[in-house]
Amino acid sequence: MLKLNRRAFLSASAATLATPALLRAQSGAIKIGTLTPLTGVGGTYGPSMRDAILGVVAQVNEAGGILGRQIEVASEDTQTSPEAAVRAARKLIDVDGVSAILGTWASSITTAVAPLAWESKTMLMCVSGADSITKLPHQGFICRTQPNSILQIQVAGDFMVAEGATQMAWIGPQTPFAASSIDILEQIAAANGAGMESLIYEADKSTYRSEVDQILRGKPDFIMLGGYAADSTVLLRDIWQAGYEGKIIGPAYAVNAGLLDTLPSAVTEGIYTWEGAPAVNSAAYANVKAILGVDEVDPYSAQTYDHASLTILAMAAGGDSSGDTVRQNVRSISQGDGQIVESAVDGLAALAGGINYSGASGPCDFNEIGDITGTQFVFKTISGGKPSEYKRV
Amino acid sequence: MDLIPQLLVNGIISGALLAIPAIGFTAIFAVLRFPNFSVASLATIGAFAGYAANVGLGLPAVPALVAAFMVAGLVGLASDEIALRPLRPYGALTAAIASIALTIVLENMVRFGFGNDLRGYDLPLVRDWRIMGVRVGPQQVQNLALALVIMAGVFAALKFSRIGKAMRAVADNPTLAELKGIDPVRVGRLTVFVAMGLVGAGGMLLGLGTSIDPLTGFRFILPIFAAAVVGGLGSIPGAALGAMVVGIGEELSLLVLSPAYKSAVGFIAIVLVLAFRPRGLLGERAY
Repeated sequence: MLKLNRRAFLSASAATLATPALLRAQSGAIKIGTLTPLTGVGGTYGPSMRDAILGVVAQVNEAGGILGRQIEVASEDTQTSPEAAVRAARKLIDVDGVSAILGTWASSITTAVAPLAWESKTMLMCVSGADSITKLPHQGFICRTQPNSILQIQVAGDFMVAEGATQMAWIGPQTPFAASSIDILEQIAAANGAGMESLIYEADKSTYRSEVDQILRGKPDFIMLGGYAADSTVLLRDIWQAGYEGKIIGPAYAVNAGLLDTLPSAVTEGIYTWEGAPAVNSAAYANVKAILGVDEVDPYSAQTYDHASLTILAMAAGGDSSGDTVRQNVRSISQGDGQIVESAVDGLAALAGGINYSGASGPCDFNEIGDITGTQFVFKTISGGKPSEYKRV
Repeated sequence: MDLIPQLLVNGIISGALLAIPAIGFTAIFAVLRFPNFSVASLATIGAFAGYAANVGLGLPAVPALVAAFMVAGLVGLASDEIALRPLRPYGALTAAIASIALTIVLENMVRFGFGNDLRGYDLPLVRDWRIMGVRVGPQQVQNLALALVIMAGVFAALKFSRIGKAMRAVADNPTLAELKGIDPVRVGRLTVFVAMGLVGAGGMLLGLGTSIDPLTGFRFILPIFAAAVVGGLGSIPGAALGAMVVGIGEELSLLVLSPAYKSAVGFIAIVLVLAFRPRGLLGERAY
């Protein structure tokens, strides 16, 4: 397995930074862009998401690049704000001339950036879950490695019923997946004879006491959180202070390490989380661990590792570095009967004989609208402030 | 409608906490005649200074609150001297826009020092009390008491101390105050220090019950601004009253509005006041 050479990584990053933008645009190198949340609520994930991409590119450059050219990465920050993300995406497309934008995180941001991508024939690979995203008229320029929200909520709703929920509740902020989440849970509750209440609150408040009072009036025994880490931290504290004794489940990106560090363990005891499970036993996952120098890779950095690998392999397979080439070839290198490869470098070596890229986040097979298929989910339960695996489905 | 007493209690508590930074904001307006939006980041800085004192040094809540006041006051004063004072002669709008730029710079300095992660104060968490069906938390009661003590201190200082009287004099009529030998620059500096200290303490009080991150203060800028406008920009009792109106209004709005539109209450309050009583509920006299 290929190990990242630190010197090559540093020199690749330093060379990218040191070259003036104008020169870079003319130098003939292949450009790809990262657009991750370096700041804002997604700021916990964005830096390592970007570093995973830089790591893949450094490995490929060290092995000689693709199409006889080196690859350069332009990195921008979404600030977890659609407005800032659109400005950054414009810069990546118009100034840097990237042919792919990788790593958009929040659904609202992917939705905002998407039209810029397909209009400029730039490939957009995201980790966002809102099911509306792949229904956009994107002509194939979007694919995602994150299971869509319908699938995520269905899996979690079935879990709630299996764990004995009789009165379910969903509480979360206004997001592109809030309404569909509520609909799905209502269907699951109705099919299983359970009750269901929901409440959409405003993100970015310092207290949700009144909202908690309102949702607890329905006497739920299993609550699903629909927000991100910042508001879920406030909410969980308020729910605990209100004396709620029932069960709670939240997405792992909300009930994350930061939240668990912030809240006393009494508040988080027994909470369930779920997420798309990275392929922890794969060589690709080990490669990301080596790139990032960590023991456990978050699901999003695993996904952006795959974004970079898929983009590079699709360019090499198509013999061209345009966004359109990535769009046309991404499925031919990621699914089918070819040899299974788990890194861009291995894939480039085996490309001639046909490959099936299988990544750190899972098998990386996409359907016709760009949704990922075949994702595994892992449920965890929090005990003493630490998550431990409870169940896989 | 059995929710009303609970909503009122929640509203009074959040209103009292909001009043502290709103007083700071309006005091700066009273003396320096411009809306200083850098209060957003100074509330964050206060919250983080209190956090550093509480978690880093192991201090209990009240000394940490003093640290929040001092650090936010000093940072507020230094940043005002560097970034805002040189621009004030060019008009209130220039200074206001510069203060927005300043708040972004300060926010990112916090981010640089502490990172993006959420942080929580090291305070014992206890379940709420239920008194006649109304839920109230011990931490809330303590925060309310601290807010009331701080407000009482501010009012007493303005009413009885020499420097408080000088501040009111400058706010009332800067030219006349200068004729009487009051140095407006000195009073301006003192006002900024105390006001930003209040904003910092308020930021920490607002953060005590939740968790803090570099955007903590930014989340409160709309309600703070709404409280000051509703009460009458420049009026310190007005800011306290305005904070109560906004705090209680936001909670009671849950009876008729989806919680997703809570922030609309601040906007609605601003619009109503500007339409029907542009000088605010208490007018603009500083005291």
